[in-house]
Amino acid sequence: MGHVDRAREFVADASRTSWHDEALWFVRAKRDQAADDVPDWESLRTHAGRIKRHALSRLPELWKQFEQNAQDAGAKVHWARDAEEHNEIVADLLRDRGIRRVVKSKSMLTEECGLNERLEADGVEVVDTDLGERIVQLRREPPSHIVMPAIHLRRDEVGDLFAKEMGSPPGLDDPGELTDVARRDLRPRFLAAEAGLTGVNFAVAETGGFVVVTNEGNADLGTALPMLHIASVGLEKIIPRQRDLAPFLRLLARSATGQAITTYTSHFRGPRRPAPGADDERAPELHVVIVDNGRSHLLGRPAFREALACIRCGACLNTCPVYRRSGGHSYGSTIPGPIGSVLEPSRDPVAHAELPRACSLCGSCSEVCPVRIPLHHQLLAWRGELVAAGHRPMLQHYALEVVGRLFAHPATYRGLGALARTLARLVPKTALTRVLPAWTRGRDLPPIPPKSFRALYRERARRRASRTDRREERASGSSHGNEDAMR
Amino acid sequence: MRVALFVPCYVDQLRPEVGLAALDVLEACGIEADFPEGQTCCGQPFLTAGETARARALAGRFIDVFEGFDTIVSLSGSCAATVARQFPLLAPGSRGDEVAGRTREFCDFLADHALAGDGEPDTPWGAFPHRVGLHSSCHALRELGLGTPSESRAPARPDPARRLLESVADLELVALERSDECCGFGGIFALEEEAVSCRMGLDRLEDHRRARAELIASTDISCLLHLAGVAEKNAFDFRTLHVAEVLAAALPERDAREAHGVSDGPR
Amino acid sequence: MTSARETILSRLEQARPPASEAPAAMSGPPRAGDEIGTLRRHIEAAGGRLQVVSRANGGLAGVRWPIDLDTTRHLHSSIPEVESRGVGTTSGSDRELADLDLCILPADFAVVENGAAWQIPARPRERSAALLAEHLVLVVDAQDLVPTMHEAYERIDLGDSHFGWFLCGPSKTADIEQALVLGAHGPKTMTLVLVDD
Repeated sequence: MGHVDRAREFVADASRTSWHDEALWFVRAKRDQAADDVPDWESLRTHAGRIKRHALSRLPELWKQFEQNAQDAGAKVHWARDAEEHNEIVADLLRDRGIRRVVKSKSMLTEECGLNERLEADGVEVVDTDLGERIVQLRREPPSHIVMPAIHLRRDEVGDLFAKEMGSPPGLDDPGELTDVARRDLRPRFLAAEAGLTGVNFAVAETGGFVVVTNEGNADLGTALPMLHIASVGLEKIIPRQRDLAPFLRLLARSATGQAITTYTSHFRGPRRPAPGADDERAPELHVVIVDNGRSHLLGRPAFREALACIRCGACLNTCPVYRRSGGHSYGSTIPGPIGSVLEPSRDPVAHAELPRACSLCGSCSEVCPVRIPLHHQLLAWRGELVAAGHRPMLQHYALEVVGRLFAHPATYRGLGALARTLARLVPKTALTRVLPAWTRGRDLPPIPPKSFRALYRERARRRASRTDRREERASGSSHGNEDAMR
Repeated sequence: MRVALFVPCYVDQLRPEVGLAALDVLEACGIEADFPEGQTCCGQPFLTAGETARARALAGRFIDVFEGFDTIVSLSGSCAATVARQFPLLAPGSRGDEVAGRTREFCDFLADHALAGDGEPDTPWGAFPHRVGLHSSCHALRELGLGTPSESRAPARPDPARRLLESVADLELVALERSDECCGFGGIFALEEEAVSCRMGLDRLEDHRRARAELIASTDISCLLHLAGVAEKNAFDFRTLHVAEVLAAALPERDAREAHGVSDGPR
Repeated sequence: MTSARETILSRLEQARPPASEAPAAMSGPPRAGDEIGTLRRHIEAAGGRLQVVSRANGGLAGVRWPIDLDTTRHLHSSIPEVESRGVGTTSGSDRELADLDLCILPADFAVVENGAAWQIPARPRERSAALLAEHLVLVVDAQDLVPTMHEAYERIDLGDSHFGWFLCGPSKTADIEQALVLGAHGPKTMTLVLVDD
């Protein structure tokens, strides 16, 4: 079941679709208001986009520079070719230290790698501490949005979940009370955690440091206390200099949620110093795991490489009229929405060939992207690539081939048009409805005109020509012409 | 100046009156447009379906038919965008680039002529006393830059369709809640993802209904065919008209009746 | 056998896009308008509070603390004007700081365009205190306002520190139906105190 079928199911619940659509449109509207506050908004987008494109053209140098600086600051740097390698590295780090309780802040990369499942198989307890992630973790489902993982759930559904999983009183549905339940459940886990896993929003080559942003402070609480901090970062997340953080931090939260900045914007460089008189024998450690998992492959594709500029703000999801009305789970991919539909087919063209078509090509996504990724152009380009590679139903391909060839010649085009219109006028509506369900399930057929424009144009031209002739004849006083006109 | 009218395939076959209205309006503004009969389709449906080879062939044909004209006026924002933005990629080279550079969407072209200069423009159309909802074509707006998208914070760009409708006496343009959300047509999307497509159409219609529009006008008949289909199925009482049809309906009666052979006012 | 590092670097080399120039440095828009007003608006939008006190009028003595200082049991302060007490004075595990009622820290500067304050914890314990305390107060000199993040990064230098952060408002979440809730994991209130002359 692909996006088409899941979206159809989603849309069938009309009121829930309205609720989901309005919730996300509200976030888009907040983004608009936040952009109003920034007089140089459009220049900022251009500037940030150029930094990213520059960085993407220098990744080997930047990562080597990062590695050196990070190591100088006392961090350990690991490299992972793919998801499995990433998971092995993390699992080994934990196992070697006898660590079995881990807290994790939001990281779509670890989601992509399926890290939780791998660690749980090792007997490690992984608790996602971002509230939205915690909710979907308890529900055993993937996040439906890259910034607001539980946006698809209503408060009473969260209340039911917490009653079941955390023993809170059933029927709770006030978000403040529910957050309090989660806070009381998570605090002891933070205090008992032996390692904190985070993602990385921006890695800075110049310093060997990186930035993690949250509103909850869960990335900080998860790394301030335990002795081990493992930060997973995708190859595309590096920028050259510390001062390059400025445009991105001005854009990120405003684009994502309409906030001027997140509550916490944390800059890490090397492990923290051991506290004097601390009761832990080990010195604190920081490990950075640099992950490829298909990114270098995408870098090698000129039509799509700009998608690596993505800073995971989610603005394209919020503005996408299709995402709002189908929900993140319809996409069946780690990252849903417009950016997901560009990234995922590169990773798995067979599984995700449909995603670039889950799009009306409206272009709103490209307009909100803080780094100016031409998303809707890339989605269109994907369609051509995937058809050419044979990842689309052959029947449709051949049918369009035939129609396309008929359209190429005026005579066959006219003939096809006339035939279609004649049939449409002769065949009863009920039969037509059954033949064209893709149109008629949700729409009436248009009234079919008896004549095409070109036929009417010719008639109009003839009428005018004969009028002109008659006028000319009257003017010239030709008797022959008068006699003709009077017949 | 040789002007050619490019009538998209679905206008030709399903809404021929739009083409006639366009000719009347152009004529009333002193512009004579040719209709090169060799035209068929710009290739957009095939392009959106990923059938690049077919799209390329149709682009080639389009260039053959239309090169030699100074301006190619398109009765569709999305088709104009396909020619102007995609042809340089589909058919790279000077011929394709020239045809691409000379193709204009109808309202964009007309506004330049009919609304030029300072002061009150001297337009040939009279009154059209109705509440009109302008449906923004995504491609006219975001591909061709005919207007300022709601997402953008760039300096405002004029929307020629809006300007033309504003120049019509007694026409009231309604204010929508979501000024430029997509109607859900999107080419092949309308058929492949018809559930979401129709829900998007329904939401647009609701917006127009809440704004108390009597009819919906647009630069794009593809959007309007989709909206009209959803409207009929869901008992919305809307007419859908191309901007050219609104302007033609406001032309002095005699010319309008003669050209169409039909009654004035919205149909 | 090639290491993962070598493989990845070689893949990146092979896939390298054509050179793309870095843009010239960007500065923020010119300073304008009521900066304290803008700062206040952003801090309050983030659920925080702003207080402006003046040295001429008693300085920090004029601060309305989020909780009554006299009766607070556990307090960590890194400013000379207020003394730590309770678990704020011990030096055991940072986890003890879970009982902290109030944490007061100096910040280096605040950013007008978003209400954030930049702070480098002097020791890891300071960071834990800021995260675990029920209430957080940051103190900044009114001279130390910068208009945007561009000017902020001109001033940021971690030096020998491993950690620094921007803080804006109390910990919060909107993950349940987009309803804003303050105090998700960290402090429930956050106050920025601006000390003027």
